[in-house]
Amino acid sequence: MDERRESEAARAKNHGTVERRSERELVVTRTVNGPARLVFEAWTKADLFRRWWVPRSYGLTLLSCEMDVRVGGGYRLVFSHQDSTMEFFGRYLEVTPHSRLVWTNEEGDAGMTVTTVTFDEIAGRTLVAVHDLYPSKEALDAASGSTGAMPEALDQLDELLVSLGSTTTK
Amino acid sequence: MTLTGMKKHVDVLEQAGLVTTEKVGRVRTCRLGLRGLQEEAEWIEGYRQLWSARFDELDKVVENLKRKERVDGRKKRK
Repeated sequence: MDERRESEAARAKNHGTVERRSERELVVTRTVNGPARLVFEAWTKADLFRRWWVPRSYGLTLLSCEMDVRVGGGYRLVFSHQDSTMEFFGRYLEVTPHSRLVWTNEEGDAGMTVTTVTFDEIAGRTLVAVHDLYPSKEALDAASGSTGAMPEALDQLDELLVSLGSTTTK
Repeated sequence: MTLTGMKKHVDVLEQAGLVTTEKVGRVRTCRLGLRGLQEEAEWIEGYRQLWSARFDELDKVVENLKRKERVDGRKKRK
C-alpha cells in the first residue's frame, strides 16, 4: 500500500492522473499545495466547495449546495442548465477529518456509485485521490456516454444518420 | 439509395461499432454509439479536463485559506 501511495504521489506531483482502474472504477489523483486540514475543509464546507466543484466553462449555475458532512448525513447539489435543473444527491458513509471521505451518488437510475476521497499530507502538500466505484461496468459505460464530449464531426454524422433514417422509413 | 442498400450500409456501421440500432415496430432507429477505445479515450480526456479545472479552482481556494490563516495568525500575535 505504501509503495502504491508513493508512486501515486510521484506521478501526481504536478499534473495529476486519471485512470480507469477496472471495469467499475475510476481514480483521479492530484497534489494540492496545502495541508490536508485546509484541503479537507474545502471539500466539506459548502461555501468553499461550491467555489471550485463546477468549472465555469460548463455553463452550469449552482443554485444550491447543501452538505451535512457527518456519517449518515446527506448532501444535495442543484444546478440549472439552460431551462432545466439537475440534482445530485447522496449521503456520507465515512467522514474521517483531514484524511478520508466516502459518499454515495444516488441520482443515477442504474444503481449507486460510491466515491471515496483520501487526503495524504506529504511535507505540507496533500495528495488527493478520488476513487469512483460504479455499480456495474454498464453504469460506468453509460456515464461515459452521456458527457456530451462527442466531437462536432460525429454530431453531424449523427444528424445525417437521423435524416437518412427518416427518409428510409417513408 | 434503396432500403436494402441502406440496411447493408447500417449493418456495416453497426458491425464496426460506429452505430447502435434499435427496432421498434417498423422503425429502426440508429444512434451513434462509437463503442471502443477511441470513445473511451475521448471520454477519459473530458473527465481529465473536468478534474483539472476543478483542482485548479481548488488550488485557489486552498491558497486563500492559507493566506487567511497567516493573516489571522499575525493578528493573534499582536
